[in-house]
Amino acid sequence: MRTAVAPDVLDTAVAAETPEGILLELRPAGLAARFYAFLLDWVIRFVVGYAVALVLILFMGNVGVGIVLLLYFVFEWFYPVIFELSRSGATPGKSLVGLKVVMDNGLPVTPAASLTRNLLRVADFLPFAFGAAIVTMLLRRDCKRLGDLAAATLVVHQPQRPLKTRLEGVPPVVPARSLTPADQAALVALAARAPTLTVERLDELAALAAVVSGDGGRVGPNATRRVLGVAQWALGKRV
Amino acid sequence: MTPLSFEALYQEEWQELESLLDRVLGRRTPVGRPPPVRPERIAALYRRACEQLALARARSYPAYLLDRLDRLTADAHQVIYQQRELGFGMLARIVTRDFPRAVRADARYVWLATALFVLPALVLGPLVYFDPNLVLSVVDVATAAQFEQMYAESAESIGRTREAGSDWLMFGFYIRNNIGVAFQCFASGLAAGLGSVFYLVYNGALLGAIAGYLTERGLSATFYSFVVTHAAFELTAIALAGAAGLKLGHSLLAPGRRTRGQSLVAAAKECVVIVYGVAAMLIIAAALEAFWSSAGWVPHAIKYSVAGFFWFAVFAYFTWQGRREG
Repeated sequence: MRTAVAPDVLDTAVAAETPEGILLELRPAGLAARFYAFLLDWVIRFVVGYAVALVLILFMGNVGVGIVLLLYFVFEWFYPVIFELSRSGATPGKSLVGLKVVMDNGLPVTPAASLTRNLLRVADFLPFAFGAAIVTMLLRRDCKRLGDLAAATLVVHQPQRPLKTRLEGVPPVVPARSLTPADQAALVALAARAPTLTVERLDELAALAAVVSGDGGRVGPNATRRVLGVAQWALGKRV
Repeated sequence: MTPLSFEALYQEEWQELESLLDRVLGRRTPVGRPPPVRPERIAALYRRACEQLALARARSYPAYLLDRLDRLTADAHQVIYQQRELGFGMLARIVTRDFPRAVRADARYVWLATALFVLPALVLGPLVYFDPNLVLSVVDVATAAQFEQMYAESAESIGRTREAGSDWLMFGFYIRNNIGVAFQCFASGLAAGLGSVFYLVYNGALLGAIAGYLTERGLSATFYSFVVTHAAFELTAIALAGAAGLKLGHSLLAPGRRTRGQSLVAAAKECVVIVYGVAAMLIIAAALEAFWSSAGWVPHAIKYSVAGFFWFAVFAYFTWQGRREG
């Protein structure tokens, strides 16, 4: 079982425990990712709003203006609420960046919480240009803004499908010692990144992990191959 | 037990759970007509998967196995513990019970907000009436002139000649403007309540000043008959939004035996019921303002009677509605 992250490790992961005693790992999204999502949402709303306004006002006159004003009201206050309550739990902007809104305990966001966090955006805007939101997000490890604090919500990175590892032709190697899940995950991650690294760099990194295959201290293509073999084993290949 | 035999042993259960979850989450449309999903089966499989995940972690099984079980339990957890709280039953319960109860439970914030809203109006109203130049301390010249023109006896906006199209225009305008003001009144309360205090006092002062100014100009007949009906919903709603904001601010300033964070979360949860109610009241207000208040052909006597009825109804609602258990 993964234990709590040591405080000196640069990791913002939050563990939410389920009633069944299983720990779910949530990865809070930082300021930059959330800013991009906000920007995308802003552009989407602007373009859609502008296009709809143009059509309605041209063809429906004053009634059209009324509908446009209603629409702006909905866009202003309820655009995030509507999308956050959908199955994806994210506005289009957040989806594009790969974020979603969840409750602190990892569950889908509730209507009350979604409304709270989005209405309190007003308080986050204070004193100007989302000053309060930026300061609280930078100060907090879980990167909540004021609305998230009051609504008990988190904006997290959607769990990523693990990178496809291409290890065909690498024979599995039984590890020379027992490996913790974290060790195995590190090996698998190294194997996944292998095609993007230069051969020299891969050898260097593999040498750091060479104890797992029992070639501690050795550097070179053979040691690398055996380390990747252990990764292959961790991925379930035997024989 | 080796990881492989562990996997072979439970493989079928995992596949069944995966396919059930795929169907519930709509990730894959089933082929043909499969039997309906039995929720208790998902719950049972989920609990077993949790157990197997705990075992697999304790035995340090390979990453791919843990990864699969991790994703399986995370998905099932979302499906099983999801809270679907906003149905029609929920809305009906808010209207008939929760909203008036929440208002009564927070009576001290409501009275404080009402005072902050009404007192500036009561002070500025007579002041501006006796010295019309004072209106410029709240609004600029152009706005004052605009208000005067809006309620002038001949004005089209209040008058008989307004067509249906502009009713819709004004409906949109009132929704956007008034609900926006109320939401701001609530949300800015997070700044230790100061934002709510500011918006309540400012809107109260604005109301008093405009009323005093228009009365002095001799436009009281059109002005009061126009505002009196929807004011029952609009002014009450703004005071309530302010009260919710004050509650938020107070929960931060004086968290009692909780941490400030917990106190804020609890207060926000209670406030959100009031915010639902406020939004509904403001939609009613906007509809009245656009389609009834502006109807120039209705005699003033009828307007005042209807207004009296609405004011009574609003107060009766908050005083008596939802007192019985159930």
